[in-house]
Formats: sequence, structure tokens, C-alpha cells
Amino acid sequence: MRCFQPAALILCLALASCAEDAQSPEQIGRTSAYRHAMDGAPTNLDPAQAAIIYANFFAVNLYDTLYRYKYLARPYALEPNLAEELPQVSSDGLIYTIRIKPGVHFVDDPAFENGRGRMVVAEDFVYSIKRHFDPEVRSLGAWLWDGRIVGMAEWRDNGANYDEEVPGLRALDERTIQIQLIQPFPQLTHTLAQGFSAIVPREAVEHYGPELSLHPVGSGPYRLASFDSARAVLLRNPHFRAEPFSLAREGYDPERQASLGLEALEGKVPPFTNRIEVEFITEDAARWSAFVAGEVDFIKAPVTQFDTLLASRAPPRLKPRFEQRYHMRADLESGLVLTHFNMSDPRIGSHPDSDQDARNHALRCAIVKAFDWQKRNEIFYYGLGRVFPGIIPPATPEFNPNLDNAYVTRDVDEARNLLILNGWTEGNLPVLEYGLVAGVTERQMFEQFRSFMSDIGYPAEKIQPLTFATYGDYARAYHNREVMLITTSWTMDYPDAENTVQLFYGPNASPGSNYSNYDNEEYNRLYRASALMQPSQTRTAMYNNMNRLVMEDCAAISGISRTLILLWDRDVAMLPDRSFVGGYFFRFVNVGAETGE
Amino acid sequence: MFYFLRKIGNSLLLIIGVTLLSFVLMVWFGPDRTFGLLGKNPSQEQIEQVRRQLGYDRPFAERYLDYLGALATLELGYSDSSGEAVRAVLARTIPVTLALVLPGFLLGNLLAIVLAMLAAWHRGRALDRVITGLSVAGMSLSFLVIIIGLQALLCTPYGVNLFPVRGWQVDGFGSYFYYAFVPTLSLVIVSLGYNTRFYRAVFVEEAQREHIRTARAFGASPLTIMTRHVLANSMAPLITRVLFSIPLVIVSGSLLIETYFGIPGVGRTTFEAITNGDQPVLKAVVALTAVSFVVVQLLADFLYRLFDPRIEQAVADGGGAAV
Repeated sequence: MRCFQPAALILCLALASCAEDAQSPEQIGRTSAYRHAMDGAPTNLDPAQAAIIYANFFAVNLYDTLYRYKYLARPYALEPNLAEELPQVSSDGLIYTIRIKPGVHFVDDPAFENGRGRMVVAEDFVYSIKRHFDPEVRSLGAWLWDGRIVGMAEWRDNGANYDEEVPGLRALDERTIQIQLIQPFPQLTHTLAQGFSAIVPREAVEHYGPELSLHPVGSGPYRLASFDSARAVLLRNPHFRAEPFSLAREGYDPERQASLGLEALEGKVPPFTNRIEVEFITEDAARWSAFVAGEVDFIKAPVTQFDTLLASRAPPRLKPRFEQRYHMRADLESGLVLTHFNMSDPRIGSHPDSDQDARNHALRCAIVKAFDWQKRNEIFYYGLGRVFPGIIPPATPEFNPNLDNAYVTRDVDEARNLLILNGWTEGNLPVLEYGLVAGVTERQMFEQFRSFMSDIGYPAEKIQPLTFATYGDYARAYHNREVMLITTSWTMDYPDAENTVQLFYGPNASPGSNYSNYDNEEYNRLYRASALMQPSQTRTAMYNNMNRLVMEDCAAISGISRTLILLWDRDVAMLPDRSFVGGYFFRFVNVGAETGE
Repeated sequence: MFYFLRKIGNSLLLIIGVTLLSFVLMVWFGPDRTFGLLGKNPSQEQIEQVRRQLGYDRPFAERYLDYLGALATLELGYSDSSGEAVRAVLARTIPVTLALVLPGFLLGNLLAIVLAMLAAWHRGRALDRVITGLSVAGMSLSFLVIIIGLQALLCTPYGVNLFPVRGWQVDGFGSYFYYAFVPTLSLVIVSLGYNTRFYRAVFVEEAQREHIRTARAFGASPLTIMTRHVLANSMAPLITRVLFSIPLVIVSGSLLIETYFGIPGVGRTTFEAITNGDQPVLKAVVALTAVSFVVVQLLADFLYRLFDPRIEQAVADGGGAAV
């Protein structure tokens, strides 16, 4: 030990001197760079592929969209971005006219003549939306506008020739876009705030081909400096339009947001940070270590650290030693986790024989009653999730907080009675096949489900896991209607409950997003009618009726919205968001001044 | 000459066998990309279209021949996930992995050889027991535990906080040392136990031979005996172990390191290709691994003959290599 101590000391000094000599990029330019940790990574930066939140973050920073969400306003509200103002909509809701801001330029890039970025014109938006319907692009976002724009389907079917005009999507002049819809689509403006709708110059697509995914050429607040599977670096676009920051316009709420240090930014021109370094850290332990070591400024805290971090759960509050160093925001996800019953499976879903159909209905309801949401929340979401009845999650403006919680309240006796009254016995209960992707957490969730069912007398051997190696295989199986119980999550595309009620619309059955293959005539009628309506009390009432029908038919075990704990350094003034604002907040991040106590 | 031509012919057959086997596994058991490339609410027609684009509807033989053609011409196509040319992916990631794992690989083997020689020379005595015990302890520790432990110890305020938890922004020796130190240390620790145990067993066996006793009787020094006689005569198993580790170390051995230290190398790329079902990348990596093994085998044959004259003689006499 005597030998060890000096040796260890010498080693530490040597390491320290080497480590100090080494010029760590973390130490260079610290004052101006914001370092953001993501718990996943995009593989493709083409806006047509921006289906996951990580890709969307980049799309809305590297490219321009016509609209965005106000930085601070909750509930979320739309704000013009490249568009001059909100669209002018014809009285029948079919024609949208949008003017874009003048003098906006793409970043300089070899794709352009002389390498100088040219001005963004209305035709660029038209081209960018057309790309989604070009089969060669394999867009993940075409579904947003599929079957909605006049002439788009014909354009696609005729070979997707970009030089041919689509009657329902035209540039009237350099700055005016006109979209003509087949029938009203009240959520259209929301879709124009998504990364999918980002504006791509045709020259870049033709210049880079499939590698546009790695060479983004947009007119957003940032341009890409580097990108690989571990990290991306964004640099401020020096030519980004100068629009002074206004707290009032962004929906600032001094009661809730005074501690964030945003007031000092009033009147300044974003983007406030010259350099954004995004670290892709999927492993919880590594992400946490990087944060406490000060290598990143922001993380979504891993659930495994909640015990270490939180002094209380309701409301979530940091322990004092963390509160001194970090800001925290407990953010309810804009989506839900639920388990679909496959209604096209006659063992548990709809059945041509009315008696059996009624018995299957009772079986599904018994399973719903046996499911213990409180325990699910406690064990897998640290008790911070928000359990709610039905399919309209709290993140939507149409959410009804006064809904009866009976649907998500466990009642073992009632579940048992339902089985007995409908002639279900241990012998004739069907084998339940619970789909899951191979993984520890998924398997634990299955075992928990099995234990819930055991409590109502369901034989354990009749609850079987249907395990898939990858999510792709699982998706293929449930899209092919091969899975009886499908546990999945749904992240909303826009703050409108239409986005979740469409999950149970009959014509959207698999391979569509109605994984339950639920098909109720009354529900379908309500959906068709409400889908054409602007937000109103009548429409909300119709959504609530649809929600009720799903619960009455016991088509799903639903649901929970998870709470995310977002942590960031006190010397970063910002309000991070993983929901609809998403990556738009990057332009408002200000690194430097110590903020709020 | 004929010997090497025969070896090359065998190697080509081996490559075809390996690629065929892996192609079967990828096609029949690999992840299905279809729904990952489709948006929400796809129609049956759109599903069929993507399957056609991915080639899922084509006969197996046709797809395999295309694959061989792509390998022969090095036209490896584009990644299904990122759209990047597969050649560019490999050119970008392989150098990073080599820079990351080579120091650890070399140190792990060299240190193990030294420790194994010490243990073999002191066989049955205290030093041997200490080295063997530590080797077993090293073998028992999970790689993940070593990584997380070293990160906590060297990279966070809970320890000395001298190195980065993760990253790879290398632009000179200083930054290389800064980013590669902890990953290299992890690799050395994890490989040292296994290597030391293996080399010790080889050296102990060699040290029991008659010519070693003769050398001792002549009064040769321990250093001379261990290096000129024991080590030199143990080269065949050493070469086998070291060379055949290389393809695995490059492709799969670096996976955990690259993932936990956020290093954009080929191991991480391969893992992502497997989980995403990115077949163009996966096919290229599989082929690269197969070719690496074949090259390593040829190199091993050459080195066996260099270090063991008996093999050269056997080949000259018309026999085959007998290692």
C-alpha cells in the first residue's frame, strides 16, 4: 500500500497533465455552444424521413417550415415561421392561400450555381410537398396529405413528373402558395409546422441524390457542420432572417416561466447560440454520467435516476443539491401508451356469431377491469405517468379531465363476474397472445400483465408471449393482423384529438394505424363528420362520443401518458420541449448567464 | 506457389460459403424494413411498392447473385437508413475503430505475454498465483461493469473527472489521448485476463519440454529461456490467437466500447444496421468480416512457415501445413 499511494499519485498527476494538455472541445468555445443530449439518434436528415422526434429536431432547424409552434405558449399555438401570417382559408375550408416572407435565402452550398444560396420561393414549397408523393423518395410523411390535395394522386400515378403541375398545389407567384383540398382538413396548418413539410431546394435533391440525407441544404436557423452516429454539430446560419424575440408573441407566462431567465432576451435576434452540439446517447448510464460530468447541458433524465434526483413526485421536485445546479421540467408526453385488442381475431375480437361476439366482449372488458394501471405506472413509470380513461390523452385540447375513471380502475370482482356470467371457465378461455419485442422491460411488462390476469383466474399457461426480435418484425406482424394483444405507444403529430381518434377509425384498419382493427359504424360516422370540422364544442362532444364507444366496446386497454423529466444547466436560458415545439426551441437557447434560483 | 494458389482457391470457396450462409440468415431471419419505410396508414399498394423497392419479392438466388456481383465490383449501394453510400460509411467508420481498438488490442496482448511469461517462469509460486488470480478476476468482470466503473472513476465528479465520458473529436495526438485513454484502458482490462490465462497455459506447456531443461542446464538466463526458447517455440498458437481475434475485435469487439463512449466506429454502425435491418450495410460488413478472416488465414499460414521450419519442410516434401 505504501508503494501504491505514491505510484497512484504520480499516475494521477501524469494523467491530469496529459488530460490538460489535450485540447478538449468541451473546453473550447464553451461560452457559446449549447450541448444537447438526445436519447436516440436520427439516421437520416432528409425532411421526407423526419418521422421520429430526433429527425424532426434537425429538420426544423436545418430547414424552414411555413409554420411553427409558439415557443412558450401552453396549450400549444401556431405561429407563422416562413409564412408571413396564418393562412387565408376560403369559406368552404377548401382553399388555403399562404404568403411567404421575402428575401429568405437557402444556405450557401455547392448544389447552387456559384455555390451561393438562392432565394426561397413559393415553388420550393410546392416541390417539397410533391417529393413526398414520388415513390422513389419513400417518404414517411406522405400520409399527412394523402388523398387530401386535388390532383396529387393523379400526379403520382402519372409517374411523379416534377415539371407537371398539381392543380391543388400551386405557386401563384414567387411568394404565394395555394393549396386546394378535396375536402376540408382542419389540421392542415398543423401539418405545415412539422419537419415533413420543410422546404427543400430542388437543386440540392438533384445534386446529392440519396445522400441529401447527409447534406441538408435549407434556410433554417442552423446549418450542419458535422453528423455521424454519435454526434451532430449545428452552426448558426448567419443569413437567417432577423426577427426580434418577443416574449408576448411567444406566449410568455411570467407566473410559470419567470425563473427561466428569458426576459433578458426580449428584442434580441435569434438564433442566440452560435453552435449547437447534439450528442446521441441512447444508454441511460452514459447519458447520466455525461450530464453530471458537465459534458452536456441538457438531458431527458433516465427513469433509473428518478430516485436519486427527486425529492418528491407530486409535484415532481428536485432534491436541493440538484436544484442548485439544474432547471427541471416535468413534461407530460404528447401521446399515450395503450394495448390494443385485435378485433379481427375471432378468439377475442368481433365474431360473426352474436352470442360468441357478446362473450368476447365480456372477456375483453374483464381483461380491462383486471388491468392495474396504478401498478403499471408505479413500477414502469415511477408513478409519474398520467393514467386516463380512453384514447384522448391529456396533451390534447379536447381532453376531458372530468371523465369517469372507472375504465382505468381495477375491479377484480367485476372482472371475475363478467367471466362467470358469460360462461368463461379456465377450460374454455382462449390462449392470450401478448406481442412484445425482445427486451427486459417488455418481458417484465408481459409478466406483470400475466400476474394481473392470474388474479381473475386466468390460467398462467394461457397467457403467452409472442416475442419478436426487432420492432420491425413486430410491426409487420401487427400490421398483418397476426398479434392478438398489441402494446404500443402513439406520439401525436399535432395537438388535436383527431390524431388519436383516427386510431380506431374502421377504414384505417391494419395495415393502417387502427391496429385494433376496430370497426364500429357509429364511430366511423362520427369520425367522418368530425374530421371536416374546425375545433368547436360540437366537435369535442363528437370526440368524446367516440372515446365512449371505444371504452364501451372494450377495444383497448388504455391508457397512460408518460412524464418526462427534462434537466438542464442553470447557465442555459431556455424552455426545452419534446412535444410539438420540439426542435424549434433550439433557436431560442441562450448559453451563458446564470438563470433563476 | 502452388500451395498459395490452392490456399487462395480454398479461401474463395470459404468466402462464398460464409456469404451464402449469412445471406440466408439476413434474408430469412433479418428484420423486415417494410414498415419502417412506410408512413402511418399505408395502403396495401404502398406496402407492395416498398417491398419491391427493397427486393423482398425477388427470388433468393437472384438476390444472392446480385449480392456477389456487388461485392465483386465493390458497388455496395446505399444505406437503407441514412441514404449514405455504403463505401463511404465503411471508409468513415473503419479508421475510427482501428484508431480506437488497436492500442488496446496491442497493449492487451503484449502485457498479457509479459505477465504470462512471469507466471509460467514462477509456476506454482506466489507470483503465479497472484497473476492467475487477477486474471480470473478480470475474466469474471463484465465488460459493461468495467466500462461504467471506469467512466465513473475517471470521467465524472464522483471520481477524478479527468477524461470525457464520451465523444471522439480527434484532431491530433492530444485529443486522441484524451478521448482514447479510457476506452483503451477498458479494452486492456477486459482482454488482459483472458489473454494472460491463455498465454500462460501455452508457455507452461512449452517450458516443460526437454530442450528448455537443456537450456537451463547450460545456465541460460531466465530472460533468454523465456524469450528465445519458450516464446519463439510458442509462436504458432500465439499467432493463431492474435490474428484470428483481429476481425472480431474490429467488427464486433468494439461494439460496447463505441456505444458507451459515443464513438462513431464500424461496430456501432454494424449494431445499428442489424437492429434496423439495413441490409446494404450489413451485407458489406459481413463480406468484409469474411474477407478479413480469409486474409488473416493466409497471413497465419505465411507466419507459421516463417516461425516453424518444419511446416516449410512439410510443404516442400509435398505435404500440407500441419498446424
